[in-house]
Amino acid sequence: MSRYYYYLILINMVANIIASVPAILFQYHKDGAVSSMIFGIVAGTILVTVYTRFFNAFPGMTLPDLLKKTTSKWFYKPFLVLLAVMWFLAGLITLVTFTFLLIRYVTPEMPITQISLTLILSVIFGCLMRTDRVLYTVELVLLLTFPLILFIFYKAYSSKSLNWDFVKEAALYVNQMPHVNSFGACFFLFLGVANLFIFNRFFTQKQKFKLKHISIIGIIATLTLFTTYFIPIGFNGFESIDKLVYPWISTSDSLRMEFFMIERVLFVFLFFYLGIAFLSILIHWHVSMEFLRFVFNLDNIKFKGFKVGKFIPVSIFIAISLFLVRRLNEYQLFQISSTLYNGLVIIFPLMIILFFFIKRRMKDAEEAKQN
Amino acid sequence: MPKKQNKTKLFLLVLIPIITLLSGCEFKDIDKDVFVSMIGIDKSEEEDKPYKITLKLYVPTASFKQSPEPEYSYISHSGETLTEAIRILETYSDKELEFGHTKLIVIGEELLKENKAMELLDFLMRRPDIQLISWVAVGRPSAEKIVKMIPKGENAAYPALFNYFDGIGTESQYIVSTYLFDFARRMKESSIDIILPIIEVKKEESHFEVNKSLIFTNDGEPHELDTYATLLVNMILKNVEVADLFVKKEGHYFFTKIDSIKSKYKVKILDNNQVELDIKIHLNGFISESKKALDPEELTYYNQLFKQEGKENFVEALTELVKNGYDPIGFGIDYKARTWHNKRMTDEEWEEAYKNAKIEVEVIPGLKSTGAIQ
Repeated sequence: MSRYYYYLILINMVANIIASVPAILFQYHKDGAVSSMIFGIVAGTILVTVYTRFFNAFPGMTLPDLLKKTTSKWFYKPFLVLLAVMWFLAGLITLVTFTFLLIRYVTPEMPITQISLTLILSVIFGCLMRTDRVLYTVELVLLLTFPLILFIFYKAYSSKSLNWDFVKEAALYVNQMPHVNSFGACFFLFLGVANLFIFNRFFTQKQKFKLKHISIIGIIATLTLFTTYFIPIGFNGFESIDKLVYPWISTSDSLRMEFFMIERVLFVFLFFYLGIAFLSILIHWHVSMEFLRFVFNLDNIKFKGFKVGKFIPVSIFIAISLFLVRRLNEYQLFQISSTLYNGLVIIFPLMIILFFFIKRRMKDAEEAKQN
Repeated sequence: MPKKQNKTKLFLLVLIPIITLLSGCEFKDIDKDVFVSMIGIDKSEEEDKPYKITLKLYVPTASFKQSPEPEYSYISHSGETLTEAIRILETYSDKELEFGHTKLIVIGEELLKENKAMELLDFLMRRPDIQLISWVAVGRPSAEKIVKMIPKGENAAYPALFNYFDGIGTESQYIVSTYLFDFARRMKESSIDIILPIIEVKKEESHFEVNKSLIFTNDGEPHELDTYATLLVNMILKNVEVADLFVKKEGHYFFTKIDSIKSKYKVKILDNNQVELDIKIHLNGFISESKKALDPEELTYYNQLFKQEGKENFVEALTELVKNGYDPIGFGIDYKARTWHNKRMTDEEWEEAYKNAKIEVEVIPGLKSTGAIQ
């Protein structure tokens, strides 16, 4: 597979460490979070395989293109709007979470609107770029930040303060029945593959996707989930881990690099995660924007010869984000993420049925052409 | 008109108004902040204001040459809650109090005896600006005394007390260092007890003494560990890398300098709620002082002596801890890490089992030399 494909999947996995995924898992630390993780990895890997196989069969085609060819207007238009809303929400959750983090830890004196506006403007600028350029941006930022994030993980694993007894204790809760909410949170980690709905436009050649590639994804996912869940437990203890609002922030604050320029790892961690969060929002909103552009033919809206169409969703995005950033509190944000993740668990596997349908119609169309 | 030019113009038109929105840093300028280096929390004499907070503030100076001596200012106030006291303290200073660089939190001994640690912890954990990697220590006779003292030979702008805990300055075997996050996790877990170093200042003296530690359970009385027990806990928890141990047996009396310590501990579950605490310590080093001349050929014999002596001392110190039910090492967690959560004993049963636990210590000595002389 092309390396850009892995970026899409990797970012969704890594970005979730600062979002609500660990917090949701820790809510169920005594009721089957561990078993949910195991089920989540299996189900997620299967989903990734099916999705990738499907889009691999139609190189260079986006989901809107395929839907237009195979289904009727009354179906695909509302459906794509629904997808656009979901992608927008996914980006929004990351945005609001990160804004909260910034105001809590880095710039407590700055107005919240200004913080979120700084983030939004840089993301919006990226959203309007062409799909291939979005991927180039992703590669660039990832190359700059990811090695350092890996280094912080390494510091965490090699720290003397990491108590493996807590980790073992947590792992022994594996015999509990999995819970829907924690399963949903794990499942969300794999949904980076769904960005292919639009980003498949970039992969114009047929790619190899064999067992080797599937196992790479499975291994990366296992490592990410293991780190997400067990490292905070090793640092903060098992009993009261669900009381932490930002488990990973507390964990990075428990790390110390005494010979580094900045002793408190928290700030280094936040800074690099800002990069990852930026990419995550960028990808989500780009997909959302492309769906809207397709549904409402935004390219055709002109004002005095200028194409102003794509600025309409931009202003709506900004308005909704600014409103919600000021309105939401941490608990509501947590609830919204949890609900969204649960919804996605239902919607995304169901979409496989749609894929079968599309595939058959495409085949029929091809056969009809040949005859 | 070419389209590209138009786009550039539009871009500039949008960008320039945005620049005017930038009003400079929203951060407070650094000269409007004053950095707190230590927080001391004491019990106050007043009935309705139980907390007394003392802050040690760095006095800003233009350069090192201007003030080669350490300079601090102190402010202190009592309040009903910690935040209330700090709110009043803010009016004592013309600058914003910045807690982000606080590296040490000293809690007065009197306050700990009152069982107020949970309340303190809530304040320290909830504030995002206080580092979780700051050290927590007990101040004797009071936190205020410790915070306000400047020992001889202290460097400017780096309080001497930090050197005791960061493992870069002194590396004594008797110093326990507890980070705030460690304090918090020990507090919230029932099966591991809190251990804090005690910083002492004796009257008429101008230096600190950090060689004892204080253990307390979440609800129990604090228990003071003497120097030797502190060393033992330190070695099992791998807090120290070097140690001096003595052997006084069969007419020999020598000191060993240990330069590599490796320890392992585990809980073995025997039947009938009986447990065995298994500890294995590898000690490698050489002999650094002896009352008698030593023979290098006899090193195996010295190792045997060392092994016996070490085992006796460790078992004795550990029995003292276990008998009272104190568990600073975390055998309780180790037990939980070995049994299914639905098959393990309750916390009360575990405490009972722990108090009656068998103790098995194995010292694996590795004295490699008699030092530079025989």
